[in-house]
Amino acid sequence: MREYELMFVIDPRLTDDEIVGLSDQYKAMIESAGGEVYKQESWGKRKLAYQINKLSEGSYMLFHVRSDGGGAFTEVEQRMRQNERVLRYLTVRTNSGRLRLPEIVDETQESEAAPDAPAVDSAVEVAEVESP
Amino acid sequence: MRPKRQGKRKVFVRRRKVCRMCADKIDHVDYKDTRFLQQYLVERSKILPRRISGSCAKHQRIIQQAIKRARHIALLPYTSE
Repeated sequence: MREYELMFVIDPRLTDDEIVGLSDQYKAMIESAGGEVYKQESWGKRKLAYQINKLSEGSYMLFHVRSDGGGAFTEVEQRMRQNERVLRYLTVRTNSGRLRLPEIVDETQESEAAPDAPAVDSAVEVAEVESP
Repeated sequence: MRPKRQGKRKVFVRRRKVCRMCADKIDHVDYKDTRFLQQYLVERSKILPRRISGSCAKHQRIIQQAIKRARHIALLPYTSE
């Protein structure tokens, strides 16, 4: 079992209900493809570091996923790419052995996002925005 | 990097830089940890070169990867004036 993180940024003009609906949809896609979303975080609206599609804010969502491989993401990623309301997405593997984490936690995150995420090792072991 | 030029010129004794991540025993950087990554950006949001930060190759790579991820997801800027 491998652990992944799927983060995506949604158009902030969507209502909360729409955002929940959309992420439920994505969650269902992951689960039907054999992944398990064991944790879900919503960061809410956050300022973007740079404008995307003339927007300067985005709603951040984060899925923690357990799956046997990156195959669980092929469909979701494809859908996200096609959906103009998803500004960005990023899939990263989070458990690959070593566990020496920094103690610094991002203060702008209200949730307990960063500290308990296990280690990503080097670039080699990470499937990033690509389907195997 | 320790210039040991003897002779008439002034002798610089430069303090040897140590990779901060090695010193703190950190092997992983989360791309979400923007506060940490910020330390490795110069004012214009470029990635701080090893020559300046003193990071070892391995950790520089890890930092670089994390910064690039954070940039992609718009947690960190690519540039800033």
